[in-house]
Amino acid sequence: MSDSSTSSLPSTRRGFLTSGVKLGAVVMASPYLARAAAPVGLGGSQTVNIGLIGCGEQGRVLLNAALKIPDLRFRAVCDIWDYNRTYGERLLKKFGHEVTAYEDYREMLSAAPDLDAVIVATPDWLHAEHTNAALRAGKHVYCEKLMSNTIEGARSMVKTAREAGKLLQIGHQRRSNPRYIHVRERLLREKKLLGRINNLSGQWNRAVSADLGWPERYTIPEAKLNAFGYANMHEFRNWRWFRKYAGGPISDLGAHQIDIFNWMLGTNPSSVMAGGGADYYKNHEWYDNVMAIYEFPTPEGMVRAAYQVLTTTSAGGGYHEYFMGVEAALKMSENPKYTKLYREALAPDWEPYVLEGLIKKPSSGEEGAAPAGKPWEKEEKPKFAIAAPRASVVDVRETAALSAWDIPVTLDKAIHQPHLENFFSAIRRGTPLTCSGEEGFASAVTVLRVNEAVAARRILTFSPAEFVV
Amino acid sequence: MPNQSESSVSTGRESSAAFLLLRLFLGLRALLAGVEKFESGGNYSFEIYYRNMSRMANGITSASFMPLWATKTFAFFLGYLLIVLGLAVLLGLKTRLALIGLGLLWVSLSFGLMAVQENEGVAWLGVYVGMNAAALLLVRHNRFALWSDRS
Repeated sequence: MSDSSTSSLPSTRRGFLTSGVKLGAVVMASPYLARAAAPVGLGGSQTVNIGLIGCGEQGRVLLNAALKIPDLRFRAVCDIWDYNRTYGERLLKKFGHEVTAYEDYREMLSAAPDLDAVIVATPDWLHAEHTNAALRAGKHVYCEKLMSNTIEGARSMVKTAREAGKLLQIGHQRRSNPRYIHVRERLLREKKLLGRINNLSGQWNRAVSADLGWPERYTIPEAKLNAFGYANMHEFRNWRWFRKYAGGPISDLGAHQIDIFNWMLGTNPSSVMAGGGADYYKNHEWYDNVMAIYEFPTPEGMVRAAYQVLTTTSAGGGYHEYFMGVEAALKMSENPKYTKLYREALAPDWEPYVLEGLIKKPSSGEEGAAPAGKPWEKEEKPKFAIAAPRASVVDVRETAALSAWDIPVTLDKAIHQPHLENFFSAIRRGTPLTCSGEEGFASAVTVLRVNEAVAARRILTFSPAEFVV
Repeated sequence: MPNQSESSVSTGRESSAAFLLLRLFLGLRALLAGVEKFESGGNYSFEIYYRNMSRMANGITSASFMPLWATKTFAFFLGYLLIVLGLAVLLGLKTRLALIGLGLLWVSLSFGLMAVQENEGVAWLGVYVGMNAAALLLVRHNRFALWSDRS
């Protein structure tokens, strides 16, 4: 496939196989179109040629996930740091990709014209610049989240994608996770398993970590760093913590989960208030701890959502998104061990959903579930219950412990792989993107305004138009 | 001080009483363990028996080296054997033979639990085996038997 070939079509989302057949004789006349229409396995139309901009931490994660997807051909890697660049180049060559390494993305885009798609995994402040350049060069773009560290940057990306007629996928990978999709489509929307949802909460609690360092011999000269926009090596390595380059933990960690609030509810918030500060780390700029409260107006009524990102403790149960309805509560996490479905006693019978294979009965003793018997023992309900000692009853107003149910769908691939697969499937076959630029933009607005609310120390309201480009 | 004949009569009575206790305990234990296999949620039926036993056989096979045909065959007879042997011991029907049979049943159950490394269960069954062995040592003092071993 070639960028030129797809951009020459009236509908750029249309899969090239179909289009190639329609174009008939034109295919034979054009060398790159002929290559594009060749059968799969001969470097043909199903093969997508890719360039990667940014071979750092996230670039490597995406690279390793993409290497498991068939019919992808990495042709170019780009990073201003030779340490990262060499890593990417060596890894790809080891897996048989004929790849050329570049220091400057502009050079990559002009010297490697046969790229179909570009993956952008650079620091947030460069997402707009790199994505817009790649889109203008006629490439489809998969850009890491958060879409941009500024709302204007994010908006420009959506506009450029539209103008270029190219696909733009934003890396909120939970949207392509089969467990998240199962929960959203089957449990929440089709079966309304939670009943009326009133509250959400989400968190990412992480212990303190040391700043990222670098091997001395790989230090980038300050003049070169300055030329690429970085103040020094410390800021270059720890860009996530500085205002110029990123949005801080609420954007690095919170964006994933706040995006899921929007996605699961199918709407954007109407207000946000937040508190936070650079309380612990002395050599960082961004807020290390942030707590935010959103209001989401839904057709069923107002939903209140609390989100916290704490980078100074890993206590409190790691990271999850919690959806609380009157009939049940769902604790979702990318990590299946944190995922549970809690049934309220007043909920209707769930047996039919078990028979349909949508949920699994309580199977462990964790958090209120019935203790499991040995597999050879008789299945039975307790014949009598021993009353708890009175002293152990904390409060008579406490509701009985909820039964904990399981969700039978788990992802058996690298967590970013389905999201990348969706992107490549969109290029090949016109599959709808699970997180288009438009949706990524709405999430970026939702997230970035938290920092604004922290600084303003007051409640901020959103108008629906703010989420639309 | 009692004379020798009085002493041996007294020992005989105590042994008979000791045997009776063992007989009652083992008989009841076996009988109720057998009946319990037909029960689920307070209901009793043959259908429930086969469901319970199928679960037991599958459970043991899934957690051990034993093939399903072996565990299923054993499970098929287990409940009936416990009831028959339990009643026999309780009522004194060929008590010696019944005790030997019941002892072997405890050992076979222990073997199943050893295979799935259920050590607590093995320990409980070990207690039954010990009581069963003691009962066999005292069986000559058996009284109140409906069907004597000698007849």
